[in-house]
Amino acid sequence: MTETVHLTCIGCPVGCPLQLEHEGSEIKEISGNECDRGAKYARQEFLDPRRDLSTTVAVSNALWPRLPVRLTGPIPKDKVLDAARRIHRIRVEAPVTIGQILEADFMGEKGVHLVASRSMPAAGQEDVHHLGETVSPLS
Amino acid sequence: MLGRMKKAYDVVVVGGGPAGMGAALGARDAGAERILIVDREPEAGGILLQCIHAGFGLHYFKENLTGPEYAQRFLENVIEQDVDVVPGSYAAGVALDSDGIKTVRVMNPAFGMARVTAKAVVLAMGCRERTRGAVRIPGTRPSGVLTAGLAQKFVNMKGYLPGRRIAVLGSGDIGLIMARRLTLEGCRVVGVFELMPYSNGLTRNVVQCLEDFGIPLHLSTTVAYIHGRDRVEKVTVAPVGPDFMPDMRQSRDVVCDTLLISVGLIPENELSQALGIQLDVVTGGPRVSSTLETSMPGVFACGNVLHVHDLVDFVTAEALLAGGFAGEYARGIQRPRDNILLVPGDNVRYCVPHSLSPERAHTIYLRCKVPMKPCIVRVGDLLQKKLKFVVPAEMIMLKIKPDLLERFHGDTLRIDIRPLPGGESSD
Repeated sequence: MTETVHLTCIGCPVGCPLQLEHEGSEIKEISGNECDRGAKYARQEFLDPRRDLSTTVAVSNALWPRLPVRLTGPIPKDKVLDAARRIHRIRVEAPVTIGQILEADFMGEKGVHLVASRSMPAAGQEDVHHLGETVSPLS
Repeated sequence: MLGRMKKAYDVVVVGGGPAGMGAALGARDAGAERILIVDREPEAGGILLQCIHAGFGLHYFKENLTGPEYAQRFLENVIEQDVDVVPGSYAAGVALDSDGIKTVRVMNPAFGMARVTAKAVVLAMGCRERTRGAVRIPGTRPSGVLTAGLAQKFVNMKGYLPGRRIAVLGSGDIGLIMARRLTLEGCRVVGVFELMPYSNGLTRNVVQCLEDFGIPLHLSTTVAYIHGRDRVEKVTVAPVGPDFMPDMRQSRDVVCDTLLISVGLIPENELSQALGIQLDVVTGGPRVSSTLETSMPGVFACGNVLHVHDLVDFVTAEALLAGGFAGEYARGIQRPRDNILLVPGDNVRYCVPHSLSPERAHTIYLRCKVPMKPCIVRVGDLLQKKLKFVVPAEMIMLKIKPDLLERFHGDTLRIDIRPLPGGESSD
């Protein structure tokens, strides 16, 4: 039996309303898309929907108590909430360098790592890459 | 150098966000020698530092970066280019001396009030959020009512949750992104309420921030009343008619402990106003020439202090230009004055810059008033461009080549966006 999935294309601000007709996991027809990006998006979204994830972890001994982190690749959409919960429990200590891997192959996703998305110097240890509050008197 | 401030500069940049950092690099490229960035936060980077989601840099770096990543790349470049940066410092005022030299008053806990001189100044103070007061929501004044961007800073940098059960007023990108962010942090987002009949955010954000998590978006609906004595207990929401007035007969209560307000941004121009710089009443930012110079010679403006942008990549492009012209000005290079005035016409809310000069190429940024698709943008009789769609949330960029202007002998160009036959518009 043919079923229809309704999606909104995210390729551009037009936001075409897409209809994807399928029988089980077999795609029969995609319509509603004004360009090819719509069809590609609908196919991906139906077969293997994935999302990027950015969140924060606790960091001690730094200017701020939170360190922004992200996954280096998209993960299955239904794993996003669980992933956010797991990341929330991680604690790190400054200094941290941008791109530093905090957990490799996150949740078993090969090649998807959890990385710091900024450098965070240890409190009071700012260098050229790490900004802090210190200001020298006029020279 | 970080934390160094001398007494005299070629270019002083007020604000260390993407606009300020871009302007400093632009000034360096144009040959300015001594450049200073003054920033009031404990570190430069601006609002990018709290925008931990990806989607930045697709135009400029051809990469998908998070806000902190975008900021850090610029900051490292700024430091490498030997620009002085003083964070934790407040530019309290700019004064113009009789010889054209500007004096910037800088306040800092380490040295109190200091004065630095500048041949050129770039205003890059960014914008701030409209608050509850700006949209006049009736009701009590409990805690738990805050702007979406402030909540973003609390959650992403300071590690505080603003509440547990959240209602969001306004469907701009910040509101949508915070709805997702708070959901990921374990909060329950009970709904996003939007006054207009369409979302003001990107489709991508409506899908990935709301639909993914089953958060309802209520269009043509507003928050009509806030309840609660010490803490928000509930809000009354109501659909609005064509006059945007809430229809209280159809109102209902939504239980929540927090109301996030995401109802627009205002360029932060107190410093500009104190200088007597002419502002555009529509953008809320300075009126600028095609060199991004304000009505005060040698004072330039770029980024969200000039007009609110939707992509940081465009801020960077504008800032590099503004900084470049400021650097030239500091070196005594004078560009010919603009002689063509740009006037917003049909379905054009505003355009920046406000004037053009035929001597070089230009990029005009404009915003429409209402969505339209498909349509045609006309710049006088000189240029017309068909567009598949325009929406107020997406800035329109027009490139103008100098040869186009050479043939033009008038002094005003009107810009119009009109529907193409068979197109539709919504208002």
